[in-house]
Amino acid sequence: MSAPLLSVSGLSVAYGGVPAVEPLDFSVVAGNSITILGANGAGKSSLLRGLMGLAATTGKITFDGIEIAKLTTADRARHGIAFVPEGRRVFAGMSVRENLEVAAHVNTQERQRRLDAAYALFPQLAARDSDAAWQLSGGQQQMLAIARAMMARPKLLLMDEPSLGLAPAIAKDVVGALAAIAADTTILLAEQNASLALEIAAHALILDRGRLIFEGSADEIRRRPELLSPAHAAS
Amino acid sequence: MRVSRFTPSPLEGEGWGGGYTKNFRIPRKVLMFAAQLALNALALGAAYALVALGFVLVLNATTAVNFGHGDTVVAGGFLAVALATLVPGDLAVPGLVLLPAILALMALFGALMSWLVYLPIRDRPPVTTFITTIAFGIIIANGVNALFGGAPRSAPSLIGSGGFSAGELFLSRQSIAIIIVSAILIGGLALLLNRTQLGRQLRACAQDPEMAQAIGIHLTRMTVITFALAAALAGAAGLLLANQFFVTPSDGGVLMLKAYIAVTIGGWGSLRGAVAGALLIASFEVAVASQFSQLVAEGLLYVTLFVVLFFRPQGLFGEPLGQRA
Repeated sequence: MSAPLLSVSGLSVAYGGVPAVEPLDFSVVAGNSITILGANGAGKSSLLRGLMGLAATTGKITFDGIEIAKLTTADRARHGIAFVPEGRRVFAGMSVRENLEVAAHVNTQERQRRLDAAYALFPQLAARDSDAAWQLSGGQQQMLAIARAMMARPKLLLMDEPSLGLAPAIAKDVVGALAAIAADTTILLAEQNASLALEIAAHALILDRGRLIFEGSADEIRRRPELLSPAHAAS
Repeated sequence: MRVSRFTPSPLEGEGWGGGYTKNFRIPRKVLMFAAQLALNALALGAAYALVALGFVLVLNATTAVNFGHGDTVVAGGFLAVALATLVPGDLAVPGLVLLPAILALMALFGALMSWLVYLPIRDRPPVTTFITTIAFGIIIANGVNALFGGAPRSAPSLIGSGGFSAGELFLSRQSIAIIIVSAILIGGLALLLNRTQLGRQLRACAQDPEMAQAIGIHLTRMTVITFALAAALAGAAGLLLANQFFVTPSDGGVLMLKAYIAVTIGGWGSLRGAVAGALLIASFEVAVASQFSQLVAEGLLYVTLFVVLFFRPQGLFGEPLGQRA
């Protein structure tokens, strides 16, 4: 078995001393995307923010053979972790093209190649190339946030609630794009909508009030949907 | 200010409206006077715009007001004075020759300023930055006072003194040079921010620092570069203003207020608004001072600020936070 792409050991996340995620261990093997399921407040977003260096953590985080817990957020991104936060957070005053270009720290030719690939993945963005990001619909902003993350050609994509606030049809499109991305890029996907999430990931973690209560295959969750009930009961 | 040499020859014009044409005359001297004021205001406003742009760059990058920015302009003015005196003999070095050195040295000064007054305390509330920048401004003012004394000093003109007459307009070399140099610097800044990867990174940091870091942008590096850019622009403004209006160590407070007013009128956080605000307050100052005095002009400027804040608190070109550049 190959070495995990991401391995966390005794990782906890806290805000101002208040714990959001209790110490947990898990690992992600390259090519095997994982979804983190759980109700609102379960700690999914906090876990992703901790991995990205945007929230205080204790414990060990090893990514691609490097201990990254002490690295800055920018250095983690440069090592190959990309983050699409809840609420998209595109750079609203910048154009679609600028949002994408700013995330590619490569030469002009390579940047253009990646831009073309992003527009091939999301043709709707190509049509809005010079529009300011704030002018886009929610679904288009989500596409832009994902495309922006992919401009760095990450090894690991941290996705936080990509379907949140989107119409079901749009959410389906976004998940379809994520499934295409998952063919080449490992995704760690935090999502409340289990059925959508399990379309992308073969493995799942279930969090409940900051604690890891299940780790296993997507098939097992499909067979035993009651696994999700404690998490949903918490909301 | 030149308001002389007017001739009473009137211009004829046509009135409009109401289905009839009524001839009226705009005295030529009024037109010339207005044109002269506009030119003077453009030159002053261009220099103010550099001050205001530096101010708003730091404001957007840090979300804190740099109260030492006016003193940075003063430092630029005295740097020009100092560099001019370094040239041996009686050779008068044009300010334009000094400009690249002033831009470079002030950029270093700005980088140093970021390390001293902002980066160590950036995680603390903005009021901490207010205090450290005020303290740094006081240190600059007292340092300049100790080195140069309190008397007004003049920096060399950009391309020499004198000027040209165009009809009844007098175009001073310095005014024209200020307008051109400022336009080049403002245009250069716009190109940097809009057409380069560095500019996009600076704008991303101003709009959402956390997400900027999450896409691999080093926030500390961008903050240092922002302070450097702001100080370079302030230094250039110091050189431009110190020739026409002289410079004293205590000018920083007034210059800081001018930048603050320009940014408030133009729209808090808006770069275009900062330039527009600077041009507006310079026009206002020049027009009122020509009829009354500089003192009255500055007093009325603050009254106008209150009026603008009352009717349009977001400023003339105010932008939502997320759209800031």
